[in-house]
Order: sequence, then structure tokens, then C-alpha cells
Amino acid sequence: MLKKSYFFLIFLFPFIVSSKDPLTNSRLFIENLGNKVINTVADKNLDDKIREKNFRKLYNEAFDNKYISKFVLGRHWKKIDEKTKKIFFTSFNDYLVMVYAPKFKGWSGTFKTTKSSQIKNNLYLVEMKLINSKDSPSLKLDWRMYLNSKNEFKILDVNIDGVSMLVTQRAEFISVIKNSPDGVMGLIKKMKIKTNS
Amino acid sequence: MKYLLNKYYILFFGLILTISSCSTNNLAENGNNTDPFEQTNRDIFKFNNGVDDYFFKPVARGWRKLPSFPKDNLANLAETAYAPLSLANAMLQFDTEGASVIIRRLLINLTFGIGGMYDVASTEEFGNIEKREEDFGQTLAVYGFSDGPYIMLPIFGPSNLRDSFGRVVDAVFNPVSFAFRMQNIGLEGRLSQPVVAGVEKRETYLDYMEEIEESSLDYYATIKSLYMQKRKKDIKNGKGGIQSKINYELDENWDVGVDTLIDSPTKAFLEPEMEKKVDYIDDLPSSNHPKFNEETIYLTN
Repeated sequence: MLKKSYFFLIFLFPFIVSSKDPLTNSRLFIENLGNKVINTVADKNLDDKIREKNFRKLYNEAFDNKYISKFVLGRHWKKIDEKTKKIFFTSFNDYLVMVYAPKFKGWSGTFKTTKSSQIKNNLYLVEMKLINSKDSPSLKLDWRMYLNSKNEFKILDVNIDGVSMLVTQRAEFISVIKNSPDGVMGLIKKMKIKTNS
Repeated sequence: MKYLLNKYYILFFGLILTISSCSTNNLAENGNNTDPFEQTNRDIFKFNNGVDDYFFKPVARGWRKLPSFPKDNLANLAETAYAPLSLANAMLQFDTEGASVIIRRLLINLTFGIGGMYDVASTEEFGNIEKREEDFGQTLAVYGFSDGPYIMLPIFGPSNLRDSFGRVVDAVFNPVSFAFRMQNIGLEGRLSQPVVAGVEKRETYLDYMEEIEESSLDYYATIKSLYMQKRKKDIKNGKGGIQSKINYELDENWDVGVDTLIDSPTKAFLEPEMEKKVDYIDDLPSSNHPKFNEETIYLTN
């Protein structure tokens, strides 16, 4: 009888979690993402190729890559053709994976979500305190995300101590495009060089 | 001699203010180009990075290796010594909350923290009072002075015309330098507070800066953006900084021609009636905004 109850509870567990209010779910979503990073990316014994694969999977599941790709190109998004958009989209994805996945190797910091709030409509904010190491100061991270029609959260931006990563990335990309005779293709070339280095 | 020195200060401040107002006008005429001296700034940035690699980074690494006594105590003393200047700036900004925080920290650390050697004000027992720094650049910003052109200062790093001027004023009125100057103590004494504070700050961000440099495609542009966002946040004391002004809503042309890329229903967070028309708030960084400018609009608070 007891076993049956346990089985019933285990079976119901995912539904119990997903039936919570979006505010709680937004917090759970970020906590789960953090735990997944620790379990599938941060392990220092992991093969680098597997680390990259796991990081790419997590990034594509949790972030709105399409939105971010458009935002970081600013007005240049409209100026480029479909083919260039696709090349940029893929190159940007590769660039993020190759640059950020190795940074998590052996990461042994701690994190704690402190607050979640609904900004408006289905835009949510989850605040987190992140401690990287005893030598570095703790960081305040704000995760901005929205809940889509499939009831999935998609992250739009990460704000570190008041600085938006989305805005910083865009400022950098716009500068590269401005200083490159090949425009967006010049940026793509630079990303590819970084990815292959 | 003192009279002459005072005269030079007044002349210098007058000159800076004149340049500031001229450059602000020029900026308006040149379509909000925040970095008119980009090439010179990039050259100075390159020089600064060299100095950083061969001098400041090794010093910061050495500082990190010091035991917490005397390292933390020196850093706390430097912070306490700067507090009167922060307080004066908070008062000039009519920031009563900030002034109250600075006074509480100062009194607690001066008494229970043995003359400012220990930062007991940040402990739970004293209510986790956060550090607060106010400078004259922030005061000028509160009074409505615009940033002016972005300037990369040799050694000191990223700044703008307004903040560079503020830096000079803060250096003149730095309590430690001021006290030493009154006692005719040399430059080595006067620089003690800024040097300790600078080394401590460099050490704090040692790892993060290295990571940023390693992953950047344009390190100069990244640092510029980080500096500008950080200053906006400091001026607003962390309230309603850039995050609250970022327009995350996508414009009506969002999905045109890119449906094949990914099937994520991104537009879902827009209400149906908003999908047709997005109301722009003037200072939001939507690329579809009629006055959109990559360099300035999205950084305007």
C-alpha cells in the first residue's frame, strides 16, 4: 500500500512542480539551470567536447537564441540578407559555446536565488547571488526571462551587478562591425577565428 | 604661493567647464557620437593594457597573496579615509539616504572598527550596511551635466569629460591628501589613500577582467560599454539602472523572414494588441525605434 502511494507521488511529482505559480516556477527554472550546469558542464573530469555539447544543449533550451541574435546585431539585423542571418546565427551560437563552456570547467562556486518578480505580462525577473571563489567578490545576477505559449521560460538577458550582458555584447559587436570593412561578415570572421583559436 | 596655487586651480576648473560645455554642444551637433576621440582613446587603452600587464596585474596578484592582516585593514582604512568626501558628495546631491548610510558606516567603523581598520559595519551584527561611494562626477551628473565625450585616461582608465573633471576635484579635496598637504607632507604620503584603494579595486576585479579580455572580440568596446553602464548605475545609486530601461519587447517586424531559423514562439510575451503596435519610450534601445542609435540611446536613463 505504502509502495503504491510512493509510486503515485513520484508519478505526480512533475505535475505538482509545473502546477506551481509562474513566479515560483521562474525561480525553480533558474535553480534547475544552475544545478544542470554544475552537473553536466562544470565537472572538471568531463571531456571538453562533451562539455561543449552539454553547454550548447542547456543554452539552446534555456535562452532565446533567436531574440538574443537579433538584439546584439541592432539595426544591422535588418540590413543583412537571410543567408547572412543564418550564418551569423550559427556562428554566434558556436562563439558563445566555445567561449563560455570552458569557463565552467571545474567551477566550484555557489549560488542562491534570492527573489523572483513579475515585471509585466509574462516577463519575469529572478535575482541571484553568485559566489565564484573566496578571492572574488560575490556577484548579484538578475535573470530576465519570459514565459512562452508552451509554458517554457526563455532567458533574454543576464544582468551582472547592474550591467546588462545583452547591451554589452551589442556594444562590442556594433563596434566590430563599424571598424570592419566587411561589416557583419567581418564580425562573423572574427567570431570564427575566436572559436577556432 | 598658496594664492598662486588657488588661482591655478580656479583657472583649471574654469577651463575644464568651458571645454565640457563646448564638447556637449558639439556632441549634440554630431549626432550623439559619444566617442569622438576613439583612435586616440584606443591608443591610450593599448598603453594602459601594457602598463597593466607589466605593473598593475603583478602588483594586484602580490596584494592578493598578502595575509588579511594587514591587507584588509589597509583597504578598510583607505575606504574610511574616503568616506568624508563621499559624504560631502552625497550631501551635494541631496541624497539623504546615501548620506545616512555613509555616516552610519563611518561612525561604526571609526568606533567599533578601531579607527576604520575593521569593516564591522558590513557584518550582520551591525545590519550589513553596504559600502557607498559618491564622487564629484556623480554630483555633476545629478546637477544635469552630461557625460561629455568618452575619454580613456592614461593609467586611470575609462572616463568621460565630466567624470575626469570630477576626478580632479575629488583628488584636490581627498581628505588624506588634504590633511597631508596642510602638514606639508610630500606626495608619497598624499597618494597613500588613492594607491591603496586603486590596488584593492584592481585585485578585486583581477579574475573578471582577465575573463572579459579573453572572451572579447573588441576589448576596448566591451570596457567602454561596461564603464558607461556602471556609471549610469552609480549615478542612480543602483535604482532603476539600465535594466529597467531596456526594451525587451520585440518590434512588429521581428518574425519577417526569419521563421525558418528557430520555432521558438518568441512573440508570446507580447499581448495580442501589442503585437501590432509597440509603444516606444524615448530612451529604450529598440532597434526599431525611429531615433535608435547603437551608441547612446540604449544607455540613456
